[in-house]
Amino acid sequence: MAEVKKAYSRLGEALAKDDFILTGELEPEKTTDLSHTIHEAKEMAPYVIAANVTDSPLGIVTINSMAASHIIQRETGLECIWQLTVRDVNKLGIAGMMMGGHALGLRNVLSLTGDHTALGDMPESKPVFDLDSATLVKLVREMVDKGSINGHEIENPPTIHVGAAANPNANPMESEVLKIARKAQAGAEFLQTQVVYDLDKTIEFLREIKRYNVPVLLGIFPMKSYGIAKGFDTFVPGVSVPKDILSQWKSIKNDFTDKKMQKEAYDQANYEFFKPFITELRRKDLLAGVHCMAVHYPRIFPKLEEVIKSTN
Amino acid sequence: MTIITTKKPFEEVIGAIKQTKKIAIISCGSCAAMCQTGGTEEAKAMAEKLEMEGFEITTVIVPEEVCDNRVMKKDLRKIEEDLQNTDAILTLSCGLGVASITEVLSNKHPDIPVFIGTNTEFMGMTERIGRFYMRCRGCGDCLLNETGGICPITTCAKSLMNGPCGGMVDGKCEVGNYEKDCGWVLIYERLKELGRLDLFTKLRDPVDWSESGHQREVVWR
Repeated sequence: MAEVKKAYSRLGEALAKDDFILTGELEPEKTTDLSHTIHEAKEMAPYVIAANVTDSPLGIVTINSMAASHIIQRETGLECIWQLTVRDVNKLGIAGMMMGGHALGLRNVLSLTGDHTALGDMPESKPVFDLDSATLVKLVREMVDKGSINGHEIENPPTIHVGAAANPNANPMESEVLKIARKAQAGAEFLQTQVVYDLDKTIEFLREIKRYNVPVLLGIFPMKSYGIAKGFDTFVPGVSVPKDILSQWKSIKNDFTDKKMQKEAYDQANYEFFKPFITELRRKDLLAGVHCMAVHYPRIFPKLEEVIKSTN
Repeated sequence: MTIITTKKPFEEVIGAIKQTKKIAIISCGSCAAMCQTGGTEEAKAMAEKLEMEGFEITTVIVPEEVCDNRVMKKDLRKIEEDLQNTDAILTLSCGLGVASITEVLSNKHPDIPVFIGTNTEFMGMTERIGRFYMRCRGCGDCLLNETGGICPITTCAKSLMNGPCGGMVDGKCEVGNYEKDCGWVLIYERLKELGRLDLFTKLRDPVDWSESGHQREVVWR
């Protein structure tokens, strides 16, 4: 597996020990009050090693992810993976944020390009992209491993693990695989993938990137309801929910009038879909863990824990 | 190569020059003529429209290249008499034309404001008249030898040095509703064609803004 020499966090320890990892995702909104997110964090905390905290996804401005990660950690004890896009801050600003993030107790960061400002709700903003998702990884590794920035020494350098994203759905796939080569070169300590539903494509991709020796957490999106599944299929570019899944979810919606029973049926259907999926990938030794991106669906975590235990 | 310009809305031009009365029009005979924002025809049309709005046109000239100080020194000398009687100059050229005229006039006529009737879009490649494309941003540190002749600074909507990003779907870019090609996929395809995917795998450092981030000069004699 990858070289994780020192562990600065629970996630770092799990990577170093080669434990199978489950991470969750929290999506703070356009608010200064994180009570809903904190509630969700508390619900998933017993099941996950850490949770990602998103950074204005789709370029729609939300509470700053560094601040939100700090507050969630402080209030719940759940370790955060601070998502940081290179969209909004230049290299100098990001270097400062790494020191600030460390001082606030953050120990994991996920390096992301970020959706373009043109897509979001402040399209007139200047898109920065001074760094990219690979050079951000490189910058963090210099700060952490060498204790310097641009060759200048840092007093008490930050100790933060840095991961990156990978997209098994990418078409063409090879350009994405070779981009992972660059992220690995830069020093990425783990990868979290985009949401996947296509097992064959996922196997092909994970086999291709295995040579770079970076642990992979598989991005999954258990679907809380037919509406969510349909919406995901329609509105998330480049990801399709399989037709049979959509019709299965539709029948759950139509067949169960009792809300409690309907919820249980959705949870069970997710269990039945993801169990063989994850089992197959683990059997092929392609996974270091699973990253569940189903925000606002924390009740699925006990089931996911079951999946992971049963596939061990 | 052409500096691509488009016309400013006429109302915006009027808004800019409305405190003046006697206007000299200087219309570029080079790039702007090709873009049909300058040159003889556009200068004539602008003069007529301004006269309809009550402005007085003191002179109309179409220099070969307004951005060249040497050309402007010569051509402005020829209209010196008209300039004595001019409140403002309206330039139908790129932004360089305004800079050039302003600098050349600064000694003799520092009181004459120089306005512009166009927007300068980019340094463009011409397919044919009316079809101009940005292919180079003039960043000052050309990467083309490593990217199969396709510029990521220009063709990637995020000007990434290491693409493609997660905003690429089926070779298209998230910016503009997946209609334009992803620049980094174009680079990948070209390098693959050339048998040089080794170049694609290279981790590139961020752009060095220490030199290119401010006003640049090339002075070699």
